[in-house]
Amino acid sequence: MSTIPKRPRGTILLLEGKCIACGARCQSVCPVDAIEMNEKGEPIIDTQTCTICRKCVKECPVDAIENYLTPAEKEQMAVFETWKASAAKQVSKEPKAPKEQEQPVAKKPEEGGIADWKGVWVFVEQVNGKAHDVAWELLSKGKTLANDLGVELAAFVIGENIQHLADEAFGFGADKVYIVDHPTLKSYRTDPYVKATVDLVNHYKPEIILMGATGLGRDLAGAVATQLRTGLTADCTGLTIDKVNRLLEQTRPAFGGNIMATILTEKCRPQMASVRPHVMPKSEFIKGKKGELIIEPFTLDEADITTKVVEIISSANKGMVNITGSKILISGGRGMTSKESFKLLEELASVVGGVVSGSRSAVDNGWIEQPRQVGQTGKTVHPKLYIACGISGAIQHLVGMQDSDFIIAINKDKTAPIFSVAHLGIVGDVFEIIPALIKKIRESNAIIVQ
Amino acid sequence: MHVVVCVKMVPDTTQVSINPETNTLVRDGVPFITNPYDTNAVEEGIRFKDKYGAYVTVISMGPPSATAVLRKGLAIGADEGILLSDRVFGGADTLATSMVLAAAIVKIDKTRPVDIILCGKQTIDGDTAQVGPGIAQRMNISQLTLVNEVLSVDEVKKSIKVKRKLENYEEIVESVLPTMITVEREINTPRYPTVPGRFVAEDSVIQIWGNDVLKLNVQEIGLNGSPTKVSKIFAPVRDKGEIVMGEGEQQPKAITAIFDKLVEKSFLELK
Amino acid sequence: MTGIERIIFATIFIAAILFFLKNVFRLFAILCLGKWENRFDHLWLRLGNLIKYGFGQKRVVAKPFGINHFFIFWSFMTLTIVYVEFLIGGMFPKFNLRFLGDIPYGIILSVADVMSLVAIVAILIAVTRRTFFRKKSISANFEAYFIPSLIAILMVAYFVSNSCEASLGNLEFIKWQPVTASLAAYWNGTDPHTIHLISRSAWWIHAVVLLFFLNYLPYSKHLHILASLPNCFFKSDTLVSTVPLKQLKKGEDLGISKVVQFTWKDILDFMACTECGRCQDVCPVSQTGKVLNPKGIIHECKLNIFKNGDVIRASRPKDMLASAPLNAKMQIPLVNGSELSVDKEALWGCTTCGACMEACPVFIEHAPKIVQMRQHLVMEKSDFPHELITFFEASEQRFNPWGIAPTDRIKWAMDLKVPLLSDVKQAEYLFFTGCAGSFDSRARRSTNAFARILNQSGISWASLGNEEKCCGDSQRKLGNEYVFNKLAVDNIATFKKYGVKKIITQCPHCFNTLKNDYKQYGIELEVIHHTQLINTLIAEGKIKVKQSDDNKTVFHDSCYIGRYNRILDEPRDILKACNGHSPLEMAKNKTNSFCCGAGGGRMWMDELPGKRIYHERTLQALDTKASTIAVSCPYCMTMFEDGLKEEKNPGQVKVRDIAELVADTMIV
Ligand SMILES: Cc1cc2nc3c(=O)[nH]c(=O)nc-3n(C[C@H](O)[C@H](O)[C@H](O)COP(=O)(O)OP(=O)(O)OC[C@H]3O[C@@H](n4cnc5c(N)ncnc54)[C@H](O)[C@@H]3O)c2cc1C
Repeated sequence: MSTIPKRPRGTILLLEGKCIACGARCQSVCPVDAIEMNEKGEPIIDTQTCTICRKCVKECPVDAIENYLTPAEKEQMAVFETWKASAAKQVSKEPKAPKEQEQPVAKKPEEGGIADWKGVWVFVEQVNGKAHDVAWELLSKGKTLANDLGVELAAFVIGENIQHLADEAFGFGADKVYIVDHPTLKSYRTDPYVKATVDLVNHYKPEIILMGATGLGRDLAGAVATQLRTGLTADCTGLTIDKVNRLLEQTRPAFGGNIMATILTEKCRPQMASVRPHVMPKSEFIKGKKGELIIEPFTLDEADITTKVVEIISSANKGMVNITGSKILISGGRGMTSKESFKLLEELASVVGGVVSGSRSAVDNGWIEQPRQVGQTGKTVHPKLYIACGISGAIQHLVGMQDSDFIIAINKDKTAPIFSVAHLGIVGDVFEIIPALIKKIRESNAIIVQ
Repeated sequence: MHVVVCVKMVPDTTQVSINPETNTLVRDGVPFITNPYDTNAVEEGIRFKDKYGAYVTVISMGPPSATAVLRKGLAIGADEGILLSDRVFGGADTLATSMVLAAAIVKIDKTRPVDIILCGKQTIDGDTAQVGPGIAQRMNISQLTLVNEVLSVDEVKKSIKVKRKLENYEEIVESVLPTMITVEREINTPRYPTVPGRFVAEDSVIQIWGNDVLKLNVQEIGLNGSPTKVSKIFAPVRDKGEIVMGEGEQQPKAITAIFDKLVEKSFLELK
Repeated sequence: MTGIERIIFATIFIAAILFFLKNVFRLFAILCLGKWENRFDHLWLRLGNLIKYGFGQKRVVAKPFGINHFFIFWSFMTLTIVYVEFLIGGMFPKFNLRFLGDIPYGIILSVADVMSLVAIVAILIAVTRRTFFRKKSISANFEAYFIPSLIAILMVAYFVSNSCEASLGNLEFIKWQPVTASLAAYWNGTDPHTIHLISRSAWWIHAVVLLFFLNYLPYSKHLHILASLPNCFFKSDTLVSTVPLKQLKKGEDLGISKVVQFTWKDILDFMACTECGRCQDVCPVSQTGKVLNPKGIIHECKLNIFKNGDVIRASRPKDMLASAPLNAKMQIPLVNGSELSVDKEALWGCTTCGACMEACPVFIEHAPKIVQMRQHLVMEKSDFPHELITFFEASEQRFNPWGIAPTDRIKWAMDLKVPLLSDVKQAEYLFFTGCAGSFDSRARRSTNAFARILNQSGISWASLGNEEKCCGDSQRKLGNEYVFNKLAVDNIATFKKYGVKKIITQCPHCFNTLKNDYKQYGIELEVIHHTQLINTLIAEGKIKVKQSDDNKTVFHDSCYIGRYNRILDEPRDILKACNGHSPLEMAKNKTNSFCCGAGGGRMWMDELPGKRIYHERTLQALDTKASTIAVSCPYCMTMFEDGLKEEKNPGQVKVRDIAELVADTMIV
């Protein structure tokens, strides 16, 4: 008699060293409360209570939970697998075919109205009628996504007197441009912008919205996603389409950049993502390209808005330098040898758009003022770019700057400890390298990216 | 005045590293800390207390061990700590997190009306900056993100004036209370707790609110209420340190190396 | 002596004595205001100290002018006997000490006679010195001349009175009194009546000045005459290397904010201060132009306790001899706020190098007082120099001062084979690397060198790797007992987990902390400094070095192993073994070494105003014309490296840890 082999149960185990303490996903899916979280944020599985439903195994984003089988059980499993395969072939009429796989988690787009949502949208961030470059970068990326999905690419612009941006958007690949133009939208404020965006989205139902992860973009994106009760993935560095499931695969760093995670918004629409400026390449601008322009009506009474922008302070007229807030620091040390040569650093700073700082030696020698000192007894800085010129990299200095995003060190001593934290180290004389670099930048006509 | 500060317990990500052989996170000995941005939010809350006599409540959603971060707030002067902890809150993304936090604040508001909600600009483990706006939207109040200075509060007119820091400019914004503020790190330097302050914190009773208290629809919270799902995790390609010799005739090569990096990393753009 | 005279004198005498007793009682009552502390153990040892340092004036005579004080001191000791006789004799003219026997009495008289002259000479020398050759640390105020004048008057009056009496033939023992006898000749030919009058006048002057002096003492720095002998008796029975363990409990004082929170012994220290200024002369902070002056701190505390103490005593006349109540209100604050308060900036300046305590002739314990005042500022007020906030946070969260990821600690090993206790489970010696040795790229090189020596020697050793935490030295010295306690408890638990008994450190700060501070937690550890171990290894032939011929190496004693723990010869012996010559010495060396400026938590703070301490010490080292500065401490290493950079001397003079020098010459 051909009995149906039993699927072995095994036990549920946590694999050592794999858990990332993602936030108790396994615990929250466990239907029988068999999981407790320990101090390190890792699950402790109570095998007595566990019913081996394997929900946690599936939920774990890093495959840290395993349904462990003893060798004997493994054999049994093999038997089961072959039986299953043959049973499947036979188009089994067996009454009690074991229900071994759950329903796919994602609802098919056809179900639940998700299919109604179509198109890729990009938010065109603008200040005083000037668009932020990130919008064009996202349009370029959006084009690929739209093509993969076989849908239209649209841009939406919110503000006052901003119609001219539509042409630019077309030139960067938009098929459609939605414009919301109203006096209350002149300068950015969350509430009116959220209202404008949410109205647009609810009206036209795009499946994907991309926004720049700028201060403004993040402020808006978070609010809009909440209003729409949908998923938002911040600071994506990669965006691709899973064509089978028509899903946006959003890849972003997590854990302080130590891991990359790919994130899906399966059940909600639109799928929202924000991307930092300069992460995606910008495509060629095509002059004279046209598309469909839709001007969306908008009404809002100024009196109903609870926030007012009182004043805009441009960063140029800020008095004191604050090296902690600077994006780019050009730092000099004792290797610069004199106050005069700090002029060289000023010059370098001006061609790359940075601010000059220094080591304590530079301060002690009176080459720069104490508020510009980086390090243990100076400031701790996290600029996007730190160029250390003639700085040895004593630990007292390193602790102040080692968390900078990108570090370039120029030092003639190749054993200098600064090189241990540098992403790019140049062994050479600052008095040769820096002037040559300034010359090269000037000659290349390169411009500073804001 | 009543200020509610939202804090999160996070792994100290600067201590996390990747095992290059197995490509897994090395988390051994990595402690959980208060999200650094949130320490500035708590400090700002205590400054409202110093200046306006505000009552400061710190709340956090997290596992039971997250009471530690609440106690840190209590140690520097917060009046009350509430932990939102329940299995059904687990696995939440930012949307589901803001649901729980907003519900808790609404509940707190019933006994002591809330004027200001403070959050850190973002967390160091998630880096999303979404929970603050999420709370504001769910509560239907204004949001002031990226604040680097609180300029004034008018307790009579119930309004606040702050400075916000954006990429290339700063703006001064006025808003009515209640409002939700997220703070930049440069807004203040958090004070160091005194030992008597720590004693007070250790002795304080921290209320723990589960879903039996908040009574939220389980479909809207935790993993169920999270539209985003992590599908895959992998190790990033890292910028390895690179050393270029730049003496004598090797110099042009070194100059090019710097220049190319400046362009590659988008500090400079070629016309 | 007429009856009237006797009655007048008796009245004055009794009044003066009563007044004196009242003063002594006040001082005693003020002492009692302090907290209790047991200094009544080891009585024999204490007696020895009293004889050696009190009566023997061992530390006083260690400095050139000390001998002068020695003579003044001993004049007073001997004269006290005859002054007693003198005072009683004023009321009962028949009284004298002749009942002791003629010869003893004669000896007493002759010693007094000679000593009075000695005292005059010594006083003249002292006055000359403070007028013409005054050190900055000695003040030339009214008192500085008034007291010597009183003493001189006392002696002169004694001679005048006695010589007159001798010339009148009233002194039976004149042959025992050579000075008086020769002075008596001076009165020859003077009318006896006049002589008598002069004698009486001198007698009265002597008597009044003596009684005045007795009562002036407690109000002047000459209070030390009363307090310094007890202070030598009650001095710490070990080298003062740390502060007492604090109970971090609710309701307990967390540091000292009121002067009455000091112990009675601390208060005795204040009273014993002679304001000799030796502490100031050796203090690296005072000497480089900063606010801190150890003498000043003790003096301010003294004035403070007198002022506040009198107020408290007045408020509770019945409870004179009890400690001050916990909630006692202070009329003037201890730190900042009045002239009788300690300057906060001074407190933060201290490097806890201990030079002051080493120099103090009466064993005042400065450093623990400063640390305990810091404790209050840090733990109760969160009031400290701003640089320290990251230091404290990092120590608590990342267990090292720089806030570097604890998982990077073992990276010092680089490609070296370093046994970890977590792997090997057991080893004879634990090498406690310390934070600087683990994280600072310069110090890592010496850690590495030492590890190579350990491997070469074949002894059984291991490291804790990433399980090690900061020892807590700077935190404790900065007054953050809370964080120190956490670190200490954690490290001790780790030691216990592996059953660690012997620990080697390369950092003197770790050394002192593990050895002297952790002891307060009841753990018995044998702590060995790497210079001690290396010296033994060389002596036992476990490692061999190729001796060179180098006499251009100077050795800098770091405070925490030199002064604090008397490891003085080992490093020198090692250098001798490597170089073939004993190292060069700076003028300030061994227990008189001059701090590099990094101790007491100063490593984590900016140094302003004035000259940097390390710069001063670097100059002292360069004065020896050495080409290598040998150190045995990673902090000193940083300080000399920085000092040399400031002297624009890169490369020519090198700073090397002893371990590096040995590893370089070691035969493998
Ligand atoms: C308590 C304390 C606190 C401190 N706090 C700080 C602090 O906050 N910040 C800080 O920076 N330091 C601090 N220091 C000082 C620190 O120890 C170092 O002395 C200092 O950082 C060294 O500065 P530097 O790198 O500019 O000089 P150096 O260490 O002298 O290095 C100069 C470097 O320039 C290189 N060089 C020389 N000429 C050239 C050339 N022509 N081309 C290329 N390279 C050249 C040399 O190879 C050398 O590596 C502190 C020290 C102490 C003791």
